Amino acid sequence: MSTIWTLASGTFGEAMRRKILNVFLFVAIAMIVLFFAFASFSPTSDMIITMATGLGIISMAGVFISVILGINLIPNEIDKRTIYTILSKPVKRHEFLIGKFLGGLATVFVNILLMGVLFVIGVALFKDPHHHIRLDILEGVLMIFFQLMLVNALAVMFSVFTSPFVNFFLTFAVYIMGSMSSITEALGGESANGKRSAVIQGIFKAIHFLVPNFGNFNVQNPIIHPDVVIQNMAKYIATNILYAIIYSLIMLLIAILVFDRREV
Amino acid sequence: MANNATQQPDQGDAGAAAGMTGAISSGTNDSFSGEYAIEIVNLVKRFRNLITREWVTAVNDISLEVKQGEIFGFLGPNGAGKTTTIKALLGLIFPDAGTVKVLGRAPGDNDVKYQISYLPESPYFYEHMSAKEVISFYASLFGMTGADREKRVDYLIDLVGLKSAGNKPLRAFSKGMLQRVGIAQSLVNDPKVLFFDEPTSGLDPIAHRDIRDLILHLKNEGRTLFLSSHQLSDVEEVCDRVSILYRGKIRKIGRVDDLIAGGKVEIIADNLKLDEKTTAAFKAKADEVEQIGSRVHITGGADNASKQAILDIIRAAKADIVSVTPTRRTLEDIFIETVRGGEEEAGEALHLDAAAGS
Repeated sequence: MSTIWTLASGTFGEAMRRKILNVFLFVAIAMIVLFFAFASFSPTSDMIITMATGLGIISMAGVFISVILGINLIPNEIDKRTIYTILSKPVKRHEFLIGKFLGGLATVFVNILLMGVLFVIGVALFKDPHHHIRLDILEGVLMIFFQLMLVNALAVMFSVFTSPFVNFFLTFAVYIMGSMSSITEALGGESANGKRSAVIQGIFKAIHFLVPNFGNFNVQNPIIHPDVVIQNMAKYIATNILYAIIYSLIMLLIAILVFDRREV
Repeated sequence: MANNATQQPDQGDAGAAAGMTGAISSGTNDSFSGEYAIEIVNLVKRFRNLITREWVTAVNDISLEVKQGEIFGFLGPNGAGKTTTIKALLGLIFPDAGTVKVLGRAPGDNDVKYQISYLPESPYFYEHMSAKEVISFYASLFGMTGADREKRVDYLIDLVGLKSAGNKPLRAFSKGMLQRVGIAQSLVNDPKVLFFDEPTSGLDPIAHRDIRDLILHLKNEGRTLFLSSHQLSDVEEVCDRVSILYRGKIRKIGRVDDLIAGGKVEIIADNLKLDEKTTAAFKAKADEVEQIGSRVHITGGADNASKQAILDIIRAAKADIVSVTPTRRTLEDIFIETVRGGEEEAGEALHLDAAAGS
C-alpha cells in the first residue's frame, strides 16, 4: 500500500504543476468570477441559471482536466523513461497503474474542490438571499467528481493500449455517448410506430449497457434535467457513487490485465 | 513488505563526497550464492515495424553469463540491441525466445528487484521534486521510512556531490547534475547488481571522471556491474570482460586483457637500404614497411618469432636497430575492427575513399 501511496503522491505533485491543466482551472475560475460579476447587475436572475452555469463550467473544465490528465498518465512515464527507474524497483505493475490513477484522481479532486468551493461561496454571497451554503450545489459538485472519476478510469484504461491522440477522441466520444444515456436508452427500446429494426435496437441497447451513464451524474443541473424529480436524493447519490466506483474498478482491472503483458 | 536494503555504515565516509568515492554500504546484501549474477541463454527479441509491418530482430540468439562481482562491458554501436537486452534483464520487455536470469531468478521478480538497480541513459525524474525528494521517493519504493530513509538520502546526496543543491528543484539541474541524481537513485537500495546504460554520456570531464571513479569504487566493493557505454577508454579501464554486439549478435566476447593482447611491434632501423632482396624478405615477415626520412619503420606481429625474424633481416642488411616498440591495441581498435567486420559481412561498410573519388 505504501508503494501505491508513494506513486500517487509523486503523480499528484507532478500533475498539479502541469501548465495545461492549470490553464483549464484558471479559465474555469475566471468564468465563475465573471459570471458573478455580471450577475450582480441583475440580482433577480434565476437560481436555475446560476446552478446550470456554475455546474456546467465546473463539469466542462473537469472533463478537460480529467481527459488530458488521464490520457497522459502512463504514456508520459514511458516517453520520459521514468517508468524504467520505477518498474526496476520493487514495484508491481498493478501498483504502478493504481498509484498513477489515484494520483490523477487526487488532482481532479483538488481542481473540482477549488472550483466548487468558489462557486458555493459565490452563490452564498451574491445569490442566496439568506447567504446560506446550498447543499444541493455541493451534491452537484460531488456528483461531478464521481463522473470525472469514471472519465479518468476510462482514459487510463484506453491509455494502456492506444496513443494519447487516439485516446483523446476515444474518451471524449465515450463521454458524449454516455452523457446522452437517456437517448440511447430510448433508441434501444420499441419505437412509437414500431418501425425501428431489431438490429438498431440491439446496437443502442448494447451502447446503453456498455457505455457508462454519465447523464445520471448531471441530475443537479436543472437545465439538463428540468423535469426530474428524485424522491430520495441520498439514495440516488449513493447508488450513482457506487456505480462509478464499480465501473471504474472494472476499467482499472482491464487496464491492469493489459498493462501486465505490455512491454515498456 | 520485505526490505533487503541496508543502510550505509558510517556517515564519516561522506567526506569523500565530491569524488563520489565514499562507501556505498556495508556490503551485506547477500542472499544469492550462485556463480552467475546474470545469465542470458539464446535470447531473441523481435519488434514489428508499425508502418511496414515487417519484423525486425533487435536481439538475435545471444548467450552470455556475468559472474558475481564482475564488471561486464556491454558494447555495440547504436541500434545494436544493448538497451533491448538490458530491458529484457529488467523485465520491462519479454523475450520471444530464450531465457534470462538475474541472481538466479526470472527478471521482474520482486525479490530480485530489491537487489538490483538501473540507471537509464539520460534519466528523467519528476521535475517538481528536489534531488532529496527524488531520492526519498525511490527510497520509499523500497519500503524505507522515517529517520532511516532520511539518513540514507542525506548520505547519497552527499556521496554524489549534490549537498549544496539537494533542495533545489530538478528543473534547475544541468545534465551532469541529473546524472548524479540518477547515480544516487541507483544506489539507494545498496544493490548487488547494477545496470548502467551510458552513465557518462554528455557529461563534462569532471562529472565524467567522478562517475568513472565511482564505478571503480563499486568494483572494489565487489558489486556486479553490467555497463553499456560508448566511452571505450573507460570500459577498458574498469571492465573485467566485454562483449561487442552488432545487429543483435555477439561478435566478440572475452576478457579485456585477452582482447587487447596480441598487438603489433614497430621496429625502426637506420642505414637500411631497401633493395629488392630486403624488400622481399620484409614482405614475407612484416605487415608494413615505410621509409620515413633516413629511417625505415617496420611493423609486424608482437610475438617473439615474428619480431626476431624482422630483426634478423635488419641485421643481415647490416643496418642499425634504433628502437623496438610494442604498439598496444586498444579496445577502440578491437571495437572498430569488430563492427567493421560486421558491416562488411552485411555489405554496409562506409567506403569514404570510394565516395571521395566518385
